[in-house]
Amino acid sequence: MNPADLPPELATPTEPALLAAVRAIAQGPLAEQAFAIDRGAYPADVMRQLAAAGAMSAHLPQADSTPGDYGLAIAAMAEAAKVCGATGFMMWCQCVAGLYMQASGNPALTGERLARHVGGETLGGTGLSNPMKSFAQIEAFLLKATPVEGGYLINGTLPWVSNLGPDHYFGAIAAVFEDGASAGREMMFMLRCDAPGVALKACPEFSGMEGTGTYSVHCKDLFVGSDDIVADPAKPYIARIRGGFVLLQCGIAAGIIQGAIDSMWAVEGQLGHVNQYLEDRPAELQAEFDALVGRIMKLAQTPFDTSTDYFIDVLDARAHGAELCLRAANSALMHQGARGYLMSSEVQRRVREAQFVAIVTPAIKHLRKEIARLSAEEMPV
Amino acid sequence: MTQPSRQPASASVGALSHIYGEVRDLPLAAPITPVAVGQPFRQYICDACGYIYDEAVGDADSGLAAGTRFEDIPDDWYCPLCGVTKSDFELYEAPSIDALRAQASRSAPVWNAATRHQAGVVIVGGGRAGWQMAEALRALDATLPITLVSACAADVYDKPLLSIAMARQMDLARLVKETGADAARCLNLRLLAHTDAVRICPDTRTLRTTRGNLRYDHLVLAHGAQAALPPALPAALCWRINHLGAYQRLRAALGEAGKDVVIVGAGLIGSELANDLALGGHRITLLDVMTQPLARWPSEQAGAPLLAAWQDLPILFKGGVQVASVEKLGTRYRVTTACGQRFAADQVIAAAGLATPPRLAQSAGLAWNHGIAVEPQGLQTSVERIHALGDCITVNGQASRFIEPIARQARSIAAAITGAASVPYEAKPNVVRVKTTTHPLTLH
Repeated sequence: MNPADLPPELATPTEPALLAAVRAIAQGPLAEQAFAIDRGAYPADVMRQLAAAGAMSAHLPQADSTPGDYGLAIAAMAEAAKVCGATGFMMWCQCVAGLYMQASGNPALTGERLARHVGGETLGGTGLSNPMKSFAQIEAFLLKATPVEGGYLINGTLPWVSNLGPDHYFGAIAAVFEDGASAGREMMFMLRCDAPGVALKACPEFSGMEGTGTYSVHCKDLFVGSDDIVADPAKPYIARIRGGFVLLQCGIAAGIIQGAIDSMWAVEGQLGHVNQYLEDRPAELQAEFDALVGRIMKLAQTPFDTSTDYFIDVLDARAHGAELCLRAANSALMHQGARGYLMSSEVQRRVREAQFVAIVTPAIKHLRKEIARLSAEEMPV
Repeated sequence: MTQPSRQPASASVGALSHIYGEVRDLPLAAPITPVAVGQPFRQYICDACGYIYDEAVGDADSGLAAGTRFEDIPDDWYCPLCGVTKSDFELYEAPSIDALRAQASRSAPVWNAATRHQAGVVIVGGGRAGWQMAEALRALDATLPITLVSACAADVYDKPLLSIAMARQMDLARLVKETGADAARCLNLRLLAHTDAVRICPDTRTLRTTRGNLRYDHLVLAHGAQAALPPALPAALCWRINHLGAYQRLRAALGEAGKDVVIVGAGLIGSELANDLALGGHRITLLDVMTQPLARWPSEQAGAPLLAAWQDLPILFKGGVQVASVEKLGTRYRVTTACGQRFAADQVIAAAGLATPPRLAQSAGLAWNHGIAVEPQGLQTSVERIHALGDCITVNGQASRFIEPIARQARSIAAAITGAASVPYEAKPNVVRVKTTTHPLTLH
């Protein structure tokens, strides 16, 4: 049927039910806890509710074989991040952990374990900050894998990994060493926090987003068998998922930006007469944000495009999101003035959340360095 | 209007009570009875801090039950957030977002963020076209802010010299006439060297780069073209010589002693490089799909005399062949043609033509026709305030990747941008001087 033949109210695309469900959780139980999450409470119940609603699995192929929808996953994350950036970030952690398992093709990871993950019965994160920087030639690998009978022994420490708890798990990458020398490849696996040889240690206090379940992870002769292997070697696998991995992060930025813009309009009635003298007014930011969202949604249609040009576009959209986050959150504080500076105000909390988006891997500086590296014409060495 | 959530509000009450040095002593045992009868609940806003008292919600921390009317609140009640008294509250009616937007746009000045500060002209490209553009602008306007963004150091040099550097025994270091930094000082412009232009956002007139974002009043694209690389030629195995940096690295890789070099493509660049590297003592195999070099100018019949002139040079020309693969074998390369011929080489150079990289143009939605399509006389792209010149443009679908037109193009654009009397650009057929020093040619 041609949509143009329908009455206007029916032709208008309806909002996916998922977004309404996420909004209800976000503006209900999550809004009540947002302050506490910022100060250190891990919202296990909200995370489970969001997962059960499908908010962290929209990007994965669905049970009825419909392909995953990255745009919807990003929109769902944004709905929560508008209320609580920390929760948006943890949703991203859960999203990519699911992606690692699903894309591994390892039956031990894709079956029951993935189903429990998708349903929120179990929670997980991602420890790819270090390896992503290693692949971008920014730092060295922190985990080492030594082949042993039936698997690998893992040693090393990752400084901070989020969305963790004693019974959680996360995707990690270790450089393979054979006979004490680098084997020139890496392997990726799901690291179970409760496995023998793993210790989670509390991180120093951060300026905000303290309830994200962030720990340093110490591995001492951790055995990883075939059931936990995501990819070996890891590099070709990462090339396949890197676009989706970075693109999904845009959901956190999107929520924070929209939340900041909303809080500017919230005081426009009283303070518009003075706020008109500020830079980055809400209408301007909204226009720039809407254009960025359009761009992100277009990129979200082809998350597995492995071309360099596509990845540069994804990195730049992510960088633009982080920059706009900083501008919008900061401008929202200027718009709200003292009331936004109250410790209880979401406006100052959002400034710290925006700073997090700008510094979490890949940080703005990493994104730019990687774009520069990928932009250089490749020549013989 | 977003209302401060109850939990944070109560957290602040404690803090503020502490600041004010007083302790609340409200009659919790005898709460005020709500008198909600028919009237819709209303909201009152604190003039000092923006806290909103919502009759429907009340203020439990002060003992005001949900439904307590504002007029029923005792006069000694004070704002739970900032401590001012009831008399500092006024009736609040949340305005519609549309009304606020309309009001905000009415009070907005006519300029927008893009024009708030004079952003000036941003030029993308640190080659000849970029510098000619900067010079032409500076000649017409001494104070116009100009920013030049270059992926390389933007050192000034004559690219044609790359084709005759060996014949002239030129010192590679002396090819640079002026460093980019010195040229920038001379023209009083801001140079962002080693900076990649990533995306153009025409709505906000912003150029996104790897060193931050630049606002522009006018943007000029002068980023040139890149060597086209047929799929059989992997980038990691083949040199492309389209700028000084790559040429210097190739020369370093070749070293002093004679080497075997396969050059794929016997057009202008391929033939000139073959000629020059052969004079430098290297053994050249020159491959082309056509049966003669310089076959793009069929009426000139230039191929045969050129080959005759080369007969004493170590140049082996193989026409009519298509390269099928390039492989690295140890430290050497093997080039295999579709017809099964194999050539061993120390270095492989691809000279299979040029193509404009589409990234920036696509990001801004610029019309494209084998390159950035510009209007013939003013060199304006399809998007306002964006011009383009040099190797990256096409006029009526035709690229003209020669030196001569660039200065004239730059003068036309500079006149348009600065508002000087217009200097329409005129595309003319170019005479091509082929710098095959053993047999210089002029092609029409």
